[in-house]
Amino acid sequence: MEEYPEEYRTPPVSLVSLVGCAEHQAVISRHLLAEQPPINTLALPDLSNFLLLLAQKDSSKPPQAAGILRRDWLIKHRTRIPSVVAALFSSDQVSGDPTQWLQVCSDLDNLKAVLRPRNIKLVVVVIFQSSSKDDINEDRYLALRKRAEVDTKHLLNFNPNDDTELKQSLTRLGSTFAELASTYYREEGRRIKTRIEKKSYSSIDFNIRYCFKVAVFAEFRRDWVEALRSYEDAYHAVREMIGTSTRLPPIQRLVEIRTVAEQLHFKISTLLLHGGKVKEAVIWFNQHNASYRKLVGAPEVIFLHWEWMSRQFLVFAELLETSSVSVPSISSLVSGTADEALTEWQFHPSYYYQLAAHYLKEKRLSLELTLSMSETANEIDSSAESVVPSVYVGQFVRLLEQGDAVQPLTDEEYTRFAIAEGKRYQDTFEIIALLKKSCESYGNLKPRRMGSYCGLRMAAEYFAVGDFSIAKQLFDEVASQYRQEGWVTLLWEVVGYLRECSRKSGSVKDFIEYSLEMAALPVLSGTDPQGFKECGPAGPPSLSQREIIHKEVFQLVSGKAGSASAEDIKINGDNPLHLEIDLVSPLRLVLLASVAFHEQIIKPGVSTSITLSLLSQLPLNVEIDQLEVQFNQSKCNFIIVNAQRPPLAATTEDHEGHRVESAPSLTLATNKWLRLTYDIKSDQSGRLECISVIAKMGHHFTICCRAESPASMEDLPLWKFEERVETFPTKDPALAFSGQKATHVEEPDPLVDLNISASCPALAGESFIVPVTVVSRGHDIYSGELKINIVDVRGGGLFSPRETEPSAVESHHVELLGVVGPEGEDESQLNSDEIKKIQQSFGLVSVPFLKNGDSWSCKLEIKWHRPKPVMLFVSLGYSPHSNESTAQKVNVHKSLQIEGKTAVEISHRFMLPFRREPLLLTRIKPDPESEKLPSLPSNETSLLIISARNCTEVPLQLLSMSVDNEDGDSDRSCSVQHGGEDNLGPALLVPGEEFKKVFTIIPPVDSSKVNLGTVCLRWRRNDHSGSTITETWVLTKHKLPEVELEVSPLVVSLECPPYAILGEPFTYLVKIQNQTLLLQEIKYSVADAQSFVLSGSHSDAFFVLPKSQHTLSYKVVPLASGSQQLPKVTVTSVRYSAGFQASSTASTVFVFPSKPEFKMGDAGETTRMQSIASE
Amino acid sequence: MIVCVAVVGHQNNPLYIQSFTEEDDALKLHHIVHCSLDVVDERVNNPKKSGPTLNETFLGLLYPTENYKVYGYLTNTKVKFILVTTDLDVRDADVRNFFRSFHAAYVDAVSNPFHVPGKKITSKTFANRVSTIVKSFGLSSAG
Repeated sequence: MEEYPEEYRTPPVSLVSLVGCAEHQAVISRHLLAEQPPINTLALPDLSNFLLLLAQKDSSKPPQAAGILRRDWLIKHRTRIPSVVAALFSSDQVSGDPTQWLQVCSDLDNLKAVLRPRNIKLVVVVIFQSSSKDDINEDRYLALRKRAEVDTKHLLNFNPNDDTELKQSLTRLGSTFAELASTYYREEGRRIKTRIEKKSYSSIDFNIRYCFKVAVFAEFRRDWVEALRSYEDAYHAVREMIGTSTRLPPIQRLVEIRTVAEQLHFKISTLLLHGGKVKEAVIWFNQHNASYRKLVGAPEVIFLHWEWMSRQFLVFAELLETSSVSVPSISSLVSGTADEALTEWQFHPSYYYQLAAHYLKEKRLSLELTLSMSETANEIDSSAESVVPSVYVGQFVRLLEQGDAVQPLTDEEYTRFAIAEGKRYQDTFEIIALLKKSCESYGNLKPRRMGSYCGLRMAAEYFAVGDFSIAKQLFDEVASQYRQEGWVTLLWEVVGYLRECSRKSGSVKDFIEYSLEMAALPVLSGTDPQGFKECGPAGPPSLSQREIIHKEVFQLVSGKAGSASAEDIKINGDNPLHLEIDLVSPLRLVLLASVAFHEQIIKPGVSTSITLSLLSQLPLNVEIDQLEVQFNQSKCNFIIVNAQRPPLAATTEDHEGHRVESAPSLTLATNKWLRLTYDIKSDQSGRLECISVIAKMGHHFTICCRAESPASMEDLPLWKFEERVETFPTKDPALAFSGQKATHVEEPDPLVDLNISASCPALAGESFIVPVTVVSRGHDIYSGELKINIVDVRGGGLFSPRETEPSAVESHHVELLGVVGPEGEDESQLNSDEIKKIQQSFGLVSVPFLKNGDSWSCKLEIKWHRPKPVMLFVSLGYSPHSNESTAQKVNVHKSLQIEGKTAVEISHRFMLPFRREPLLLTRIKPDPESEKLPSLPSNETSLLIISARNCTEVPLQLLSMSVDNEDGDSDRSCSVQHGGEDNLGPALLVPGEEFKKVFTIIPPVDSSKVNLGTVCLRWRRNDHSGSTITETWVLTKHKLPEVELEVSPLVVSLECPPYAILGEPFTYLVKIQNQTLLLQEIKYSVADAQSFVLSGSHSDAFFVLPKSQHTLSYKVVPLASGSQQLPKVTVTSVRYSAGFQASSTASTVFVFPSKPEFKMGDAGETTRMQSIASE
Repeated sequence: MIVCVAVVGHQNNPLYIQSFTEEDDALKLHHIVHCSLDVVDERVNNPKKSGPTLNETFLGLLYPTENYKVYGYLTNTKVKFILVTTDLDVRDADVRNFFRSFHAAYVDAVSNPFHVPGKKITSKTFANRVSTIVKSFGLSSAG
């Protein structure tokens, strides 16, 4: 757009001229310029200057038009020919002496003479020098007006002395000027328009010129509609001129027409865009483009056409870009009518920039063609020097040596001139600039593919000028886009460029990489190579081309270097080449390595199979000299050499330590897996993963290919869209789906026995001993560690404190008390650095070094606080070798479930003294709400029988049983005493047997509740083979319940002798004691018994006095011997409505047939008898 | 005259691309087809803008470039058909008809049990049928 002169690019501004009174002109021009619309001022201090200015016009108008538009016409009207001339006179001049007046008159006359033919408006301005304005009389004014032949309103006063006056004067001037200018331009426009209407022009050239002038005058008036219409008329007229005008030789004629059309089009587009009519502008541009595109012109100057086309697009792009109007929404565009359908991109400058670049490329192409055809390239330059643009738009003439004379050109001369001009421009950089603009513009909109295309073209230009680094960078971006979407033919072109770039910049690695990629691209023979011409340096994509590239590369890497084109590129000992192919590399097509272990878990030292599969899409067979397979355990690395090739000298030294396998053939055929299966074993446990496969071809060329698992292998990019035979990387299809490149090596099998044993269930309360034995059977044990864990069988995990009741003293039901080392080894003798860590459910003990065959044992001491089954886990971790400290630990695990059982079950029972029954009211009227506490009569002797039963399966020894007051309550209100003496020795309690002990209780009178204390039982296993540890006695405690005390109102006691003798009478007494302060009415009855005869009343009622006793006395004679039931006595208390009948035991007596003879033993035996008898 | 037709897969990869031109500008046509995918994307991703063309397979004129006009068609499976023509005044109806028969040919080609979906169409029958359709393009309007 910058190539257009300024007057074309900006809307025209009215021009007025000020003549005379130079000191005031600045003020006036400043004011006029600030008007809306602005008015340009041509300020001339003197009249003579003005006359000179206008006189420049050559009056001799050529009768025959020599061109369409004069180049300087527009600028003339914008800068030289004013629409209004203001003659400024000072008031002194007007009102002064006659000489001054005469001067004014003559000036006016001169002015009028010049202005009249041009129809320029005249304004006379009188400037007052002083504030007094009435020093000019009316006659002078009239005379002045007459002389100037102006209207009254065009004779203005200008008073610069006062601010308000000045402002008023300026406003007045401004409005008058604007009005007159508008009138001038309208009249001028109309004058020319009538010429058009009357068709009073000699040729079509004039028609165009008149239309143009009308449009320009309309623009001066800011009548955009009129201007647009006239421009369009002119444009159509120009279109008609094609083929009809014969004024100029054909080439130059076309050039002129195109130039004029371009200018008119530019004006139209500007006006349309200025008016916000983007759609119309685009449609107009399309029409413009369509009507001139085919107008190619003479073949030798065809480049002018392309240049012109390019400029159209460029200018329109710039116009679009600079126009402030936003692109209308697409919906209104797409819904346009079918023939005028516009698309999104046509509203975007980038589209036009791109096409401008395209046409400029065409131009360059045709210019190069023209230049190559013209033999006399050098001679052109000399003759083209004197050619200059003519006065007409789009014409050129030869400037003759003498003066200003010009001479029209012939077409040949013009062609030479044009070619010379064309050669001067650096089209390439212009194209790059255009493409860059387009690319950036597209980049903002994110159409990646258009951007890529622009980038590609741009890169091709850079490539053409030899700027390979920039070109390579751009090509790389584009290539990644094409790779991603699998456009192979496009990729071929780009990679072809890249290959040449790297060849020219001498980058061996890149060259090989790009060449290999190209050779492996899925370009098949089916593609028609004839259709591709502009394919860049790589040539058309075809299978044969791929083969050529393939051969070239492998000649290069094998060091033969036959190709002359690669003189800079060498691969030898100094420049070895190493390529890396990872999972995203485009070179995966070239070499794909899939590695599958046949087993997912292997044992150490046991060999398994590994299948190595290689695939290449290169068009020809590839011979690999050597393959190196690398693992994460470098000991497993191995090398496969090609048996058909001599071993590579360079590699022999680094074979050391690695396995070398030999394969009969290492030839990779196109799209065919090369499968190699080898054994592999690892001694190191853990993950074994194949990292990479390195293929060596020739002495200095290696490709390192990342290994892939067949199970998770992605499809080959690009090739996945092709119809090809797809085979599995392994022979076994299952392995192809599940095979992994990594396997897990197990730990070595432990050669150590770990034994734990527990012969019987554990008993709650005792320290249970679990022996643990470690016996080495083939491994030495270094830095062994024994871990002990006690876990709840029910899966409750470790015994955490939260499981236990808060009241429990012990936080764990089962507790690991300690670990006792082997016999003879005291804990204190353990070295301080050996680990020993015991927690309640976890223990860690270090095992000393054991030689093969040695054994070591320890004992775990576990205490059950509650009966509970637990799982005991013991694991031994050790290393079989002394040097490998931690890396290779071997672990042995053992577990054992141990039941915990209650050893003794303690129960108790209360009893009253024999044949003495206190009445306890709570027993006859149980209160359902009260606690079920056993109640005892206070101040009476009661009996407590405590029994301990062996619930285990082993015999127990009882040491003692006692009732202790654990609370330490000194003022215990109840005394529990053993009736006899303590056991003298430990009592043996076989399983299921019960041990009983009798205590007497005499509760005190003054309390209602009494705590009886805790039973303490000391026992141990009766283990004859047991070691010393079991010697300790286990104390089992059983808390006795609290008892309620009650005062019994009545006590009934039966008295009879311990035994009776047949036929001998004895007295049977029933004593009823009233302990209350009330009179108690008692009823009783006696039932007859078979074996007795008794005397006394059978039933009666009587009263017992308070705190006294009533005795019923019967004389009884036994009639039968043996254990006989006494007559049953039933006593009933009326007050408490409680009856009493003696139990059958209490009312049984043994009757001897005759008086027995007793041999009395010692007292101890008697007591013993007594205690047993009381059971 | 139709100079190029193309089938583009839903990953924007070419499935079938055939040019029908005597000149050696097949690569340029490939570029044009590739660039036109931008317009297809734009139309598909901004369905609001396209308004009345919602739910229509025929995408209309994608863009004019140089001497060509590019038309697009989008199937339900996001497979795109692209048509490049040198005719400057093409009737929409003709293009629609073309795409309809082209779509039928495509459906027949991919219904082949030996065709793997997503791979390039290599069927010769399809190629023949396409060239017949291409040759008959515009004849109905001319005749």
